[in-house]
Amino acid sequence: MIALASARLGRFFRRDSLGLLGAVLLLVLLILGIFGDLLPLGDPNAIGAGPRLGAPSLAFPLGTDDLGRSYLPRVVEGIGVTFLLSAIAVIITAVIGTLLGMAAGYLHGATDHLIARIADILFAFPALLFGLLAAAVIGPGSIAAIVVISTATIPLFIRVVRSVTLSVAEREFVVAAVVSGASTWRVMLVHLLPNILGAAIIQLTYALSVSMIIESALSFLGLGVQPPAASLGSLLRLGSVYLTIAPWLVLAPGLVLAAAIMSINLLGDAIRDALDPLRGRSLK
Amino acid sequence: MRLIYFLAPRLLIAAITMFGVALLVFLSLRLIPGGYADIVLGPFATGAARDLLIQRYGLDEPIFVQFGKWLWALLQGDFGNSMVTNKPVIDEFLRRAPVTGELAILTLLLALAIGLPLGVWSGLAEGGAGGKGRLGRLVGALGASVPDFVIGSAFIFIFSKWSLGLKVGGFVPLDQGLWDNLKTMILPTVSLSVFAIALFLRTTRDAVLRVMTDGHILAAVARGQRPRDIVRHHVLRNAAIPVVTVTATYFGFLLGGAVIAEVLFSIPGVGYYIFSSLEERDYAVVQAGVLLAAFVFVSLNMVADFAYALIDPRIGAARSGT
Amino acid sequence: MRALWKSGGRRLALVAAAVGGVAVGGAGMAQAENVIAWGKAADVTSMDVNIAGTVASWTMYQMIYETLLTTDKDMNLQPGLAVSWEQTSPTGYVLKLRENAKWSNGRPVTAGDVIGSLQRISGEELNPEGVAAATTDEAKQKASLKISSYWGRQFGVIKSMTAPDDHTVVVELEKPHTAFLTALAHISAAIVPIKELKDGTFDPNSEMLGSGPFMVAEHLPKESWTLVRNPHYWRDGYPKADRIDVPIIPDEAARVAALRDGRVDYAIFSNPDIARLVADDPNIVVEAQKTTNYFRVDINALSDKSAFKDKRIRQAFNLAIDRNAIANIVFAGATVPDQPVPVAFGKDACGTTDTYALPREERLKKARELVTATGEDEVETTIIAPASDPVYARIAQVIQQNARDVGIEVEILQMPTAEYLQKVFTDGDFDASISWLAGYSDPSMVIAWWNPKFAVWNTVFHEYVPELADALGELKSTPAGGERDAKLTEVCGMIDDGANILALVSKVDFILHRKDKIDIRVDPVSGSSNTFQYAAEYTSKD
Repeated sequence: MIALASARLGRFFRRDSLGLLGAVLLLVLLILGIFGDLLPLGDPNAIGAGPRLGAPSLAFPLGTDDLGRSYLPRVVEGIGVTFLLSAIAVIITAVIGTLLGMAAGYLHGATDHLIARIADILFAFPALLFGLLAAAVIGPGSIAAIVVISTATIPLFIRVVRSVTLSVAEREFVVAAVVSGASTWRVMLVHLLPNILGAAIIQLTYALSVSMIIESALSFLGLGVQPPAASLGSLLRLGSVYLTIAPWLVLAPGLVLAAAIMSINLLGDAIRDALDPLRGRSLK
Repeated sequence: MRLIYFLAPRLLIAAITMFGVALLVFLSLRLIPGGYADIVLGPFATGAARDLLIQRYGLDEPIFVQFGKWLWALLQGDFGNSMVTNKPVIDEFLRRAPVTGELAILTLLLALAIGLPLGVWSGLAEGGAGGKGRLGRLVGALGASVPDFVIGSAFIFIFSKWSLGLKVGGFVPLDQGLWDNLKTMILPTVSLSVFAIALFLRTTRDAVLRVMTDGHILAAVARGQRPRDIVRHHVLRNAAIPVVTVTATYFGFLLGGAVIAEVLFSIPGVGYYIFSSLEERDYAVVQAGVLLAAFVFVSLNMVADFAYALIDPRIGAARSGT
Repeated sequence: MRALWKSGGRRLALVAAAVGGVAVGGAGMAQAENVIAWGKAADVTSMDVNIAGTVASWTMYQMIYETLLTTDKDMNLQPGLAVSWEQTSPTGYVLKLRENAKWSNGRPVTAGDVIGSLQRISGEELNPEGVAAATTDEAKQKASLKISSYWGRQFGVIKSMTAPDDHTVVVELEKPHTAFLTALAHISAAIVPIKELKDGTFDPNSEMLGSGPFMVAEHLPKESWTLVRNPHYWRDGYPKADRIDVPIIPDEAARVAALRDGRVDYAIFSNPDIARLVADDPNIVVEAQKTTNYFRVDINALSDKSAFKDKRIRQAFNLAIDRNAIANIVFAGATVPDQPVPVAFGKDACGTTDTYALPREERLKKARELVTATGEDEVETTIIAPASDPVYARIAQVIQQNARDVGIEVEILQMPTAEYLQKVFTDGDFDASISWLAGYSDPSMVIAWWNPKFAVWNTVFHEYVPELADALGELKSTPAGGERDAKLTEVCGMIDDGANILALVSKVDFILHRKDKIDIRVDPVSGSSNTFQYAAEYTSKD
């Protein structure tokens, strides 16, 4: 299955230049985010290293922020932090969402109802407010941000996985496994899971791009990462205050965030086209 | 009779959902650190002063007694009073709801007006000759990648520095002139719409692509029907369902409050009211706001269910229970 | 009558809003109404002038209510509702009330209102008979007029109040309290209409009824206020403005935009870069108002979980803080380092302590020695930066970098205001926190914060030092002058030694106004967060 998918993916990239563009862009950003602090860019937290709100120069390629810190290493740090936060949150979403969605779709009855009701409640609760309440209960910081992002993305994940599970569960090989006496766990893990993975991965790329937007919205409301750590969202928030006198403070993180989300979306589209069994053919 | 079969289970589910939301918002508000007494008295209050205030608002009672009292009052239509103004919060929500509704509807209209046709076009063009489909994908990916507050901040700067006809802030209610009102609503609508356009574009494009591979479309092609008729009769009709879902979900999200757009453009909607009341721990406002938003969301979903049933009766039946 | 005014005001507001667009455009339409617009960053947190301890509330109350006394830019007392005041003994005061002062309902302000208000603020029950007569707890609570004001303690302890006539109030304190009169000048000591309060026609929880220049025509919570002139205001020909429109605009950029496009005429900002942000608009004037307020760090000296329980760590932390860096980097040089006795009073009372006298290198050396002496290799602490203003997090980041220089690691916790308040002042569950302190209008007022027996809200984190408490007690009853200044310096030494509350830099407010649209007057220094105390004189140029 995986091999087949990757073969398809390879084929797709050859045909799909946008998907390739997304993949390359994402890779570059990921490398920057992960290994950025190894580069000789300077200390992202050195206050007063330069003038306040200084324009880009040789010494400070992206200018300096309101505390006279070099902006380039901060943006690079922001890439890493944003990716890390979003990735953790989305992995949590994917694991919980897949398990609950599968359970709801396959087990039917009380379990289905219970999970569906939980998803309903989460769906109906205004997402941002739920996040703010959750963040207030846990206390601010990265963990709260992760919880907010996860709770905002889980309900949709559950629904998508549940509906795919419903259709897969009716397929012959699943029915056959049940008839031959396989345990519920075995059916779910061995027979169902691999077949809903495709849909889950597609949903995951959506959740990832949305989570980056949520992270920046949280920063706007003062609930993002704790200073001095920088995320792309917190940099954008700060920058938007100084938009008129130091536009580079918005431009740099803004372009990077846009590139990150766009690359994930493009890649997500490509993966979807490659994995979605219904989308192999198209109308000519 | 069929209507009752359609409605009864949905109403029950809606009631359960609403109760769950009510319980959740009530409990979480009591769990979060800090209360109104801390906020209003500021740091320099004695413990006794805080206790007096807590007592006055009945916040010293056991939590489930408080919950029961609140629920009982709710059933009688009493949403409680704001601690800040000692006035019924429902009045405030009734005043603000039309503003939020207008912003949501305008955003939705704009996003659908642009996102839908682009999505259909992009879906139809995909796989065809040249890179027409890619443009749609690129627009979709790009639109979904810029946070609304960045767009909003840019608008604020541009439109306050140069007088370009539109107003940043200074909300004018609808009943004081449509054009004056629109002048204050266009910028927030546009900044919210950018993401929504991308959302609808992607959803539509995807739905169209999916439908195009369906058997009956291929059959129609084989029959030699004109492409335009195929699109109109088969593709759009079937692609409508996911679009309706996303529309209902997103509309619900907008009604729950587009806090950031409201803050940036000083729009007196429900979002900022709830948000800042949460900051001030004005419980009645947050509780009522969350409950009302949830109510609208649940109702919208029921309307969407109706829409499914109208578009395709089979699906209407299959979807009950989720 | 008031209800009538209200609905009238609303209609007025609607009509005016409809034509407002024209006026804003400067089309010069002949208009008798003198309307000004104030862009306010936050709404009030309570309608009750004697309760709320938040500046956002104070600035609104100041439009509607009056205090017995006021202060000028030199922190000298000026007449308010009282035209004269006299200290007849170390504990006795006689206040003469303005004969023509009236509530906005037309009833004259009397000595009864003053006495009742001061009792109310001191936490006395104004309706003891009603409470005694009530049978159930609920009824008792309903009948009760007792409130919880944070300001009562600032009066000292009032022993008795009498009214020889309708416009004279005689106050007798338990013991001398130098700041009694200045405490009367703070808006939290505003005089409220006691008669209406007692007979139930005035509900302080939901409305405002004052004797100040303006009265409330309409309040849309968290959206706007419409204030109209109080027709009974005592000062002839004032207020000059017929109406103040007060939109609530929380976002800074949005407030700037409102000034730029002329929707508001004046507004307060805290961002030190605000002058640069509006430099391109020739019509916007920026005035920096110094205050006796200063940013401060509260340190938890009592919690076992806090590394700051060890006094040496507190002292080292205090010595490590680079106040000049905070002033220059966080505040772009718009402010100056401040001391426990605010420098805005023109004193340098604490200038001789190590914290202010030594150059930074020597302070760092001393601080490192202090840390080494504790035997700890790694000192780990946290500092709370309330999320209400981004400036706290900026200060925290400079402090974090400073503290690292002496081997103290500081983790920054940004949290919502309500949570910060509970953690610091109720639970005492924190290491350090940043906030600002109102310096008021007399040096002896804010310095009392270092005595947890007086400033009971500090009890959970402030060490009780008997000698310091005694010295502060003496200060309260020492008349202003050379003797008191010497005492202040002595107290500064003890405060510096304890390093429990640290003064950082003065708080400067930036008042922006449109010079083409409004005549405005703002004092260069303010002592009671009374930025717009001359609002009655503001007038539109349209």
